[in-house]
Amino acid sequence: MTMNKLLLSTALSLGLALPSVAATVAEGDKLAENQNYTYWLLDAIKSMDPQINTDVEGSGVLRSLFEGLYNEDQKGALVPGVATGFDLSEDKTVYTFKLRDNAKWSNGDPVTANDFVYSWRRLADPKTASEYAWYMELMQVKNSAAVIAGEVPPDQLGVKAIDDLTLEVTIEAPLPYFPKMLTHASTFPVNQKALEANGDKWTEAGTLVGNGAYVLKEHILGEKVVMEPNPNYWDNENTVIQKITALTINDVNAALTRYLSGELDRVDIPAGQYPTLKEQYPDQATSVPQSCSYIYMFNMDEAKGPAALKDIRVRKALSYAIDRDIVVEKILQGGQAPSYNWTHAATEGFAMPEIDYAKWTQEERLAKAKELLVEAGFGPDNPLKLTLNYNTSEDHKKIAIAVQQFWKGIGVDLTLNNMEWKVHTDKMQNQDFEVARYAWCGDYNEASTYLDLFTSYSGHNNGKFFSEEYDKLMKESKTAADPNPMYTQAEQILAKNMPMAPIYQYTKVEMIKPDMRGMGQENLMQNWYVKDMYRVAQ
Amino acid sequence: MITYILKRLAIAVPTLLFLIIVSFLLMHAAPGGPFTQERQVPAAVLANLNAKYGLDQPLWRQLASYIWGIVAHFDFGPSFIYKDRTVNEIIAQGFPVTLTYGTISFVVAVITGVGLGVAAAIYQNSWLDYLAVGISIGAQVLPNFVMAPLLLLTFTWWLGWLPGGGWEGGQWQYMVMPVIALATSYMASIARLTRASMLEVLTSNHIRTARAKGLPESRVILKHALKPALLPVLSYLGPAFVSMITGSVVVDFFFSTGGIGKSFVDSALNRDYAVMLGITILVGALTIAFNLVVDILYAWIDPKIRY
Repeated sequence: MTMNKLLLSTALSLGLALPSVAATVAEGDKLAENQNYTYWLLDAIKSMDPQINTDVEGSGVLRSLFEGLYNEDQKGALVPGVATGFDLSEDKTVYTFKLRDNAKWSNGDPVTANDFVYSWRRLADPKTASEYAWYMELMQVKNSAAVIAGEVPPDQLGVKAIDDLTLEVTIEAPLPYFPKMLTHASTFPVNQKALEANGDKWTEAGTLVGNGAYVLKEHILGEKVVMEPNPNYWDNENTVIQKITALTINDVNAALTRYLSGELDRVDIPAGQYPTLKEQYPDQATSVPQSCSYIYMFNMDEAKGPAALKDIRVRKALSYAIDRDIVVEKILQGGQAPSYNWTHAATEGFAMPEIDYAKWTQEERLAKAKELLVEAGFGPDNPLKLTLNYNTSEDHKKIAIAVQQFWKGIGVDLTLNNMEWKVHTDKMQNQDFEVARYAWCGDYNEASTYLDLFTSYSGHNNGKFFSEEYDKLMKESKTAADPNPMYTQAEQILAKNMPMAPIYQYTKVEMIKPDMRGMGQENLMQNWYVKDMYRVAQ
Repeated sequence: MITYILKRLAIAVPTLLFLIIVSFLLMHAAPGGPFTQERQVPAAVLANLNAKYGLDQPLWRQLASYIWGIVAHFDFGPSFIYKDRTVNEIIAQGFPVTLTYGTISFVVAVITGVGLGVAAAIYQNSWLDYLAVGISIGAQVLPNFVMAPLLLLTFTWWLGWLPGGGWEGGQWQYMVMPVIALATSYMASIARLTRASMLEVLTSNHIRTARAKGLPESRVILKHALKPALLPVLSYLGPAFVSMITGSVVVDFFFSTGGIGKSFVDSALNRDYAVMLGITILVGALTIAFNLVVDILYAWIDPKIRY
């Protein structure tokens, strides 16, 4: 097998050349004396085990305690983590990662390729029963599906250690965005010795062994997580923040009050409060794009979907009638973008297709919507009746009420059905709904993380949209040299078939103390690394 | 008396068992399960999860092994959601917190509530009465989910006197707002109950006799009126104490105390079956215990009551 050196991107080659990537203090910045950082968690951290965690907030903590093969820089580009680079085989299915020789666990042991082999097998192993085992399948690691299903033992997984510092990963088929997936917390290594010594208790403060820039000092469920620098971390000399405290505050408004009284350095802004806060604290209130998309899904299931929603004219009319500008400007007010497609517009490499109704005025959309409904046979004598399911949340409720009014304008009688989260999810997954609120956040910064969802073979296609053309396109995109034109085409198919009504694309709306730097806000995935942060003297 | 207590304890066992079975069945009847997620887990993974947590067994078997775990090892099982922790650990961490702020709230509520009630009854229809009744009605109509954010805005943001939340091992600064938020509405109920029953007692014959024989008013109130007046209050205090020490969702939610009130609600929403059942059993057992305590106190306060 001939290997050809692959330079991932300019950022990566720069990262290779520069020894330090952490907390690059910008020129002219004078560091503050206080280098403590306190941030907000909405909920208790469910697990500190990389292969067990399923939460975004948990991943944030894991990025401090552990380090995967790659990290992301301030803008989301890959930079070396434990790996310093890789070779890719000619058929693009075998990645050979070179690991740095100075990476250490917090107990002083070196981090080796075997640690990754152990951890990845652990993620797929049925015995671990990880809820993120499917991520190995998403990464297309060879034999992952069979391992997860228990058909072959975990040692058959396509990952092996050539030597202590060389890791070889075999994937089923070429996957252009494979390296990007390596920053995901579920791929972080765990220390076999610590796990075997402490069993399920290995994640407690004091026994947790990690390879990240920080070590766990304290974890009180539902109250706080405290972390301090890991002296054994290979780049510890460039770690600036000396203490991380993550406080769980379940009420967003209470969290904001505590931020304003100086207890927190970073907090989310509750919906509707951004304009006022921006006026009062122009140096602290921020709104940046975040890779999530909010939609109303239509149930097109053969057996369970309502007949009306099988008519493309009805789906189009419903989508046209939603005034997205009102939703983002009057309800959310946090700089969110009105949306007419599925993939978040800021996704790397993604070219937004021409979508006709995106350019119309709302009057034009309404006129067209009314016309389509009449064509479909609905009118004052025969009004279209639908129900909308949404899960408990003030924002979802406000949007639902607005949509109810929008649709009333075209003669649709919408009943709102509020339910708790688990019931909502269960009903969606069983096609037990007509229209349902849904949102999806990208797992990695590439359009397929969105578009795969509407393939007929996706496990998340709850509305049961089915298009052979779409499936074919998405399958072909996996091996294409440049899949982005195909993604644009796929979006056009979605716009043509309207299996859902796009509503808005997320922004991360936050308050951040003005002396904080290196917060990684330009990273669309909102994957920040505390090791890159620092406080400047004011 | 002893036979009575033993009898009551004997009834407690089937009561708890009934509670477990009903909660268990209701929980499993609710749509969705602990592993229902937006990112639907693939069938193979779900099967692995169910196997690991025994959810692939028939219901009766899950129930039987759950009860056996408690009886034989006092093991309430693992949390399905907080996977690094067992139910015993979650309760061991959260219950002391709620027990502490709950007990303090209880003492505060009883002292201020009884005080207000007695004062209002003695000086009936005076300004003091109106003030006491006014305070207790005000406290009653101001629910704690309104009061908690108001406290936070006042003491943390505006005055800057108190930290906005957390527990920090139970330092007093962290307890002030939770106690006020929790105690207030109980105080109001206690004050109204005390006032009403005190008014009734004060017009009764034995008080007239006490006054007629020339006892000082303070002695009449403290020695002869207060004890019987507290009887109806006492029956309210038993369940009130249990609900205070088993936590308040609102307090945990707004002040991040880490108590079990929040865990209880979360466990139901998350379908974290074992945690939900564990806390149900705790609350159930405490309710039974404190109802018994109240009944015993009744006999002590009112010599007419005999078991």
